[in-house]
Amino acid sequence: MDGSTGSPLLSLQGLGKRFGTLQALEGIDLEVAAGSVLCLLGENGAGKSTLCNLIFGVYEPSAGTMTFDGAPWSPRSPAEALDRGIAMVHQHFSLVPRMTVVENLMLGQVSGMLKRHEFGARIRDIAESFGFTLDPDAVVGELSVGERQRAEIVKCLMRDPKLLVLDEPTAVLPPGEIGALLDICRRVADSGRAVIMVTHKLAEIARVADRVAVLRTGRKVADESMKGADMGALVHAMVGRELRPLDVALAEADDGAPPAAPAAEPRGFALVCDGLTVHDRHGAVRLDNFTLEIRPGEIVGLAGVEGNGQSELGMVLAGLQRPTEGRFYIGNAELTHAGAAAVTAAGGGIVPEDRHAVACVTALSVAENMYLNKLPQFTRWGLLQRRALNAAAAVQMKTFDVRAANPEVAFSGLSGGNQQKAVLARELTLDPLVALVAAQPTRGLDVSAVEAVYRQIRAAARRGVGVLLISSELDELIAVADRIAVLYRGRLVGERPAQPAERPAIGALMSGQGA
Amino acid sequence: MSDLALRLPDRRRLVGLAVPFVAVVGSMLVGLLLIAASGKSVPDAIEAFLDGAFGTSFAIGASINRAVALALVGLGFILAFRANLTNVGGEGQIAVGGIAATALGLWSPVADLPLGLAVLVPLLGGTLAGAFWGGIAGVMKVRFGTNEVISTLLLGFIALLMVYWCVQSTALLRQPQTSSATLPESLPVPGPVKLPGLTGDPESPLHIGLVICLVLALATAVVLQRSTFGLRLRAIGLNELAARRAGMPGGILLVVALALAGAFGGLAGAIMLQGEQYYLKTGFSSGYGFDGLVVGLLSRGSTLGVLAGALFFGFLRSGGISMEIMAGVPAALTLVIQGLIVIAVAGSVILVERLQGGR
Amino acid sequence: MEETLAIFIASTLRLGMPLMLAASGELVSERAGVLNLSLEGMMLTAAFFGALGSWATGNPYLGVACAIAASVVVSAAQAWLSVNLRANQLVVGIGFNILALGATTLLYRIIFGGLSREEIPGLPKLAVKGLSDLPFAGPAFFQQSVIVYAGLALIVLIWVVLNHTSFGLAVRAVGDEPRSADKAGIPVALTRWKAVLITGFMAGVAGAFISIADIHTFTENMTNGAGYLALAAVIFGGWNIGRTVAACLLFGAATALQFQLPAMGINVPTAFLLMLPYLLALLAVAGIVGRLEPPTSLTLPFQRGK
Repeated sequence: MDGSTGSPLLSLQGLGKRFGTLQALEGIDLEVAAGSVLCLLGENGAGKSTLCNLIFGVYEPSAGTMTFDGAPWSPRSPAEALDRGIAMVHQHFSLVPRMTVVENLMLGQVSGMLKRHEFGARIRDIAESFGFTLDPDAVVGELSVGERQRAEIVKCLMRDPKLLVLDEPTAVLPPGEIGALLDICRRVADSGRAVIMVTHKLAEIARVADRVAVLRTGRKVADESMKGADMGALVHAMVGRELRPLDVALAEADDGAPPAAPAAEPRGFALVCDGLTVHDRHGAVRLDNFTLEIRPGEIVGLAGVEGNGQSELGMVLAGLQRPTEGRFYIGNAELTHAGAAAVTAAGGGIVPEDRHAVACVTALSVAENMYLNKLPQFTRWGLLQRRALNAAAAVQMKTFDVRAANPEVAFSGLSGGNQQKAVLARELTLDPLVALVAAQPTRGLDVSAVEAVYRQIRAAARRGVGVLLISSELDELIAVADRIAVLYRGRLVGERPAQPAERPAIGALMSGQGA
Repeated sequence: MSDLALRLPDRRRLVGLAVPFVAVVGSMLVGLLLIAASGKSVPDAIEAFLDGAFGTSFAIGASINRAVALALVGLGFILAFRANLTNVGGEGQIAVGGIAATALGLWSPVADLPLGLAVLVPLLGGTLAGAFWGGIAGVMKVRFGTNEVISTLLLGFIALLMVYWCVQSTALLRQPQTSSATLPESLPVPGPVKLPGLTGDPESPLHIGLVICLVLALATAVVLQRSTFGLRLRAIGLNELAARRAGMPGGILLVVALALAGAFGGLAGAIMLQGEQYYLKTGFSSGYGFDGLVVGLLSRGSTLGVLAGALFFGFLRSGGISMEIMAGVPAALTLVIQGLIVIAVAGSVILVERLQGGR
Repeated sequence: MEETLAIFIASTLRLGMPLMLAASGELVSERAGVLNLSLEGMMLTAAFFGALGSWATGNPYLGVACAIAASVVVSAAQAWLSVNLRANQLVVGIGFNILALGATTLLYRIIFGGLSREEIPGLPKLAVKGLSDLPFAGPAFFQQSVIVYAGLALIVLIWVVLNHTSFGLAVRAVGDEPRSADKAGIPVALTRWKAVLITGFMAGVAGAFISIADIHTFTENMTNGAGYLALAAVIFGGWNIGRTVAACLLFGAATALQFQLPAMGINVPTAFLLMLPYLLALLAVAGIVGRLEPPTSLTLPFQRGK
């Protein structure tokens, strides 16, 4: 099942792509054979989507060459790619929810009068030939995610492609539907086509992949046949960072914290999650009976590859989403249905995954963002005391090393690292602060920013704050946390002490083994 | 940081002002061309226009009064717009304001109130009525997710017809029908309810509405620029999730924003009634709601812009009426000019953006 | 009694006709994502230029052509501003309404001067043999001018196009998910343009109906809010053509009742009847009378990559 019969269908040589100063991909050599499935692994930002977009003609490469079906391949648009036999199923479907499946698939493909029956029959036939059913007259908006995905797949298959690229197809699927998708991929490959499946979920690929390639920060770090592949090594290849500078930084981030405020009497737990369950719009279970207790002063790491329920957990704990079942407490206060303001008032600091969506208002100034939840303190007679606000912000910025020209510049003008530090500053200076939930706090940050963030988090823990650190950076968790729980497919699958020796075991849990 | 202090002009602001200015001037030139094409004398028309706009103290007073109503609607608009809410129901909010003011003004206990309360109570009533009307759209947005453009528009039409209803029925606000020729209008409000004049000049109809408007304009500027409430409105308009996370009561802010817009409209209606018209009749709002909306939109959120735009359109209307009477050029021409200005400025936004630094 | 009913039916159709025509056209625009507040202005412009054309040439059919042409010009301007210049659709709509009112009034005064209410050549009524003699509804349904029959045929055509052709599919996609439509290769801007032009065309027919077929003259501000009523009908009809047409008839009936009910001795305030369409639309949009969802991208301009 190696698929290496003769020359490869698609071959990439030294492929590179640069966006301004960002080197998204560099020196990629890859081969895909007809009749085989290649799984492309990597974290967010590793360059997987960029690579697919290069193959599919959305971008043009900055370096290197591609060969497809025996001829040089340099597409200038997706339309060209489609014509030549490459089709792509995107992660974010481009379907129109209010129209039916057959209408969606006819969009842009037919002209004149619509012949729904005929087209619908074609859809049914194609689906059947790959082993699944699809109702052409179903309204897309009412379909489950898996069914929508299948509609997208049929949309691609109708073009009779030689190469089918799927971008994170399992990311949106509940466990029950993943098997079906993988079967389809296998059948597509068995029909003589090539399949590239981009993913960061590991357990499933064993069922379907012939080869596995791993990307990390734009480079290929692994490329092997599936036979005899070591899953743990793959995880490490995906998520590992340059260890040495980070270790040093983390070790040094242990002192120099601001003087601690007098610690409150530790009362029970800082954060308790009790059976939290979240169903998404289509009924798929994103978080499953999540139970965890964090004591004051404890740093608990929650490890897991992205997309295993972390976002949903973060939204629930921030008070922005109601769980389908379960409860959570910060200190003694139950906050399950209380809303975001109540969470803040109860001492819940949240540094969310996507700060732009939830934590900050980018058009406002740095000072305004840093004190967004403390405006009443700077209000007299209804008027905002800007001078006092800016002065206070300036002090905070110094303490937390937020670098900007002055507190009045727009928040959007700050670098990602400084934005994160600013949000952290705001959350860490909540009074009272009982629990801190930080989700992917160091994503996109350089080493010095990472150091600064962890220094602050450690200081907060020393003050008696209970910290939940949600991250897919296993090395960071091992260095900073006291114990590490692992989230897989929305469920807590295990807990280990945060020691380097536990890395393989934790990695296994993250990839869904040993659950 | 004061809104009233002069800011050093920079390229962006200059472009932002220059393009609408060109649009305005261009539209007026088209107007002049139309006058010439219709065979009327252009110099006569211009003279009549200027006379009607600025010529006598009556003209100036009337123009400013008009501007006051427009400005109030515009101010309400930019307040709601700060929270990213578009209030299209100004016409209806004026209408309910007028109804409330008339009803209160005609109710005998009110006219007997001392210390100027006879004037204030109906004004307040109109304001509250407008606030309620705007608030309905706010509640609909928060509870049902209804697009406020649609809801305020529909509420506007409903309110206009409510005026019609009120003046059709003697049980409501219609004056007693002494003969079949009695017009469907309300009785005029009694003297104590009418807005006192601002100047001693008996010729000038200028009333204290101007003072009210200027005070509110200042208040609006302060609220938008310097108050915490203004910042909250801005936050909720830009990123509702983040604002809620920061503890802001999202739903309440939205309802208050629309209620405020409505309140300003209601006040405008009350002022129009107590200041100049004195009795309620169908269509008394005569397009001021839409014009005020235009003033608000074109001002790009600036209080000064609202005042400037309101003055401009106010004088335009007065001049137009005079142009018709004295030079025989139909007042409809001012509508043409107004329409052209609106379209030209709206269409030039993309040009402004490109010139200001590209998107 | 029979006569009252017949009059009622005739009035309903008469008052509902321009609404149906304009609303069907506007429906196409809104399904494509463009809100034309300027519908009122388009209808008024059409009514005026139709009357003008008919009067100047003495031929009512040429008048209809003029009406449609004028309205299409206005809609083209609206399309250019909304789609190409991405201007605020609300402002542009209001601007056109003001402009249309001013321009038609101005031109009317200039051209017709003191000859107000001059009768213009109108469209004759055509009777459908046999059917026009049916009791109650006979004359109302089957003795109408050509424009009515043609208009109804156009409405049916719109229904067919919207639901059974690839263009209709493109329109619906562009109004809900322009990004997905773009990815599927649909030219978003062009589709919206075409949709707005269709609205202009239908508004032209509606305006022509008012001045040439119905009243045989032009008066200032003749449409008097019919455009807004049509917009309310689209909302109340849930952006579905069948329900929109029904809504227009309902609104026409409500307006007709304001004359009928007093004649029958029933005293419902006229204002309430006139208010009813807007009230119903408001309740519909609040989700109280059925769950209504406007096209997702209504009033939002489209730019690839944003």
